[in-house]
Amino acid sequence: MQLELLAQEIGARVCSPGRGVNVEIDQVYAGDRISDLLNAAGDHALLVSNLSSGHLIRVAELMDVPGLCLVGGQTPDEAMLAAAAEHGTLLMVSRAGLFETCGRIYQALGRGGRADG
Amino acid sequence: MNEFSQAIRGGDYEGGGAASRRVKELLKKVGADPAVVRRAMIAAYEAEMNVVIHSHGGELRARLDAERLVVEVVDTGPGIPDLEQAMRPGFSTAPAAARELGFGAGLGLPNIKKNSDEFEVQSAAGTGTRVRFVIALKPAALYGSGRRSLEIRGEQCKQSLRCLSACPTQAVRVFRGRPEVLDYLCIDCTACIAACPTGTLTLGGPPLPSPPPEHAVLAVPAEALVQYGPGVTAEQAMAELSSLGFGEILVTAPWEAALRQEVREEAQRDNQPLPVISPACPAVVALIETRFASLVPHLAPLASAAEAIAATFAGRPLYVVVSCPSQRTALMEAGTTPAPQTVLPSALRDILQPRLRRNHPTTRLGHTPPHPPPDLLRVTGLRHVLAVLEAIENGLAEGIRVVEPWACDEGCFGSPLLGEDPFLTQSRYDASATLRVSSNAAPVATPRRQPFKPRPGLRLDPDMARAIQKLSRIDRLRRTLPGSDCGMCGAPTCASLAEDIVLGRASAEACVRQERSGASGVDQEKKT
Repeated sequence: MQLELLAQEIGARVCSPGRGVNVEIDQVYAGDRISDLLNAAGDHALLVSNLSSGHLIRVAELMDVPGLCLVGGQTPDEAMLAAAAEHGTLLMVSRAGLFETCGRIYQALGRGGRADG
Repeated sequence: MNEFSQAIRGGDYEGGGAASRRVKELLKKVGADPAVVRRAMIAAYEAEMNVVIHSHGGELRARLDAERLVVEVVDTGPGIPDLEQAMRPGFSTAPAAARELGFGAGLGLPNIKKNSDEFEVQSAAGTGTRVRFVIALKPAALYGSGRRSLEIRGEQCKQSLRCLSACPTQAVRVFRGRPEVLDYLCIDCTACIAACPTGTLTLGGPPLPSPPPEHAVLAVPAEALVQYGPGVTAEQAMAELSSLGFGEILVTAPWEAALRQEVREEAQRDNQPLPVISPACPAVVALIETRFASLVPHLAPLASAAEAIAATFAGRPLYVVVSCPSQRTALMEAGTTPAPQTVLPSALRDILQPRLRRNHPTTRLGHTPPHPPPDLLRVTGLRHVLAVLEAIENGLAEGIRVVEPWACDEGCFGSPLLGEDPFLTQSRYDASATLRVSSNAAPVATPRRQPFKPRPGLRLDPDMARAIQKLSRIDRLRRTLPGSDCGMCGAPTCASLAEDIVLGRASAEACVRQERSGASGVDQEKKT
């Protein structure tokens, strides 16, 4: 599914557009441990996390991750936005918590997988 | 210049990752495969953040050549007091500040190891930590199999150099004071592991999971069931294993028998070059692929027993107890999912030994085991004879009534004066057949005319007081020698050279390495 579309579906706000509208993801991983995120990261992955530190962006940069989703309505700081823009990482913020955000993504992907979606 | 070093500041969470970014740029510059970049980034970032989180500061050095990326991350302390603990997934000493940022999962070092082709960590409390990892740039296919499981713990190397001559494919080099293994030659056998006196070359493995995942399968070879010393039978070990919570436990022996049967049938086929060689041992398969290319068609096109088990239980969490690196490699290359987890016999021992002691307090030395060991134990080959004699001396040969030791492999069939391999020679002799002989003398055993008596041991001096003095001189001298037992002086070990010097058989300057390593050798001796 396209990242932009997914953001829309789950009601997340896109703060930084990333590499463009055509970025497809086929893998979503949620976690709060850097080591886990590193292992799950890939160039077609969306990482969802409670973390909002610069390290999340750094993981995205090093691992060529196209999209990050912050949860709980966190506002990314200037440095994070700048880093996301620089590395072409799509940054979205979901107002819901981690659990609910994941639920919405699950639903969205389920629908997106069908022809009528 | 495909090389750089970059400082890492301890506690600088903001700047953490900058050195890894440079590693990435380096790799991108040469157009490295994305999978390689990915592995390198995981390893580099974990190593870099370890320095930020745990140390006073340090440095990342990266070097890239046509074949591999070598990264060294060193810090100035405070060091890791217990490396084994640090390598255990989930163990972490990260401070709360780091944990809040998502670090401290206790997966750093294991993650580096998992994502690199060579991994080494050196550390001690009070000194710094040095992590070195190597990632091959080219897919292993370029070198044939080339994926090895043998592990190198370079910091333990004392340069005995025994691995060099032990390796059947000449895959080992000790150029910079520690062994390096050429992956495309290494067949993952145990020759160097057996030869290495310091455990530098070895095979590592995780502990057995407790409790195991649901429906997990455990495959155990017979040898891992009888490693608990005298008095503990395979049945007892199996009974203990059954209480660990695995969904299914199986012994590999019947699978090996099934393979043997299939290989036999292979030999019945037309056009099959004979002899058919069984692929039971993956190390031998790799040996044939490496050194005996013309024999490859002789290999029966079958997988090893462990691989067959992996294929049968695909889709379930599978734990296989492996006895050598080659079995591990074969399982990893089998490509079944989820990838089987390999466990060392020692991991099994760590769990079972205490339970066996607790649950079978009567099975200890002095108690006759319910399963009688063979009436007569025939041992051949000096290496094995030595080990068995030592076991008898230590009271570990419980229940064996007769031992028949032979110095040569397979007894006198193994004499080097015969000029052929003992197994080949012996294959032509049928012990049960009666040869027509012209003598009618009845075979008898005759008593010995002279009693056995111990040979007088080493005598340093006829005078006891002077002998004791010499003994302490030998001991002092031995400590100044490098302890590598390299043999370049002409004496087999450093200890024997010390003795030779004190007894006037060798000159005090005989050691060729002392100038370089002697002084530091003394220092090290004092420290430990």
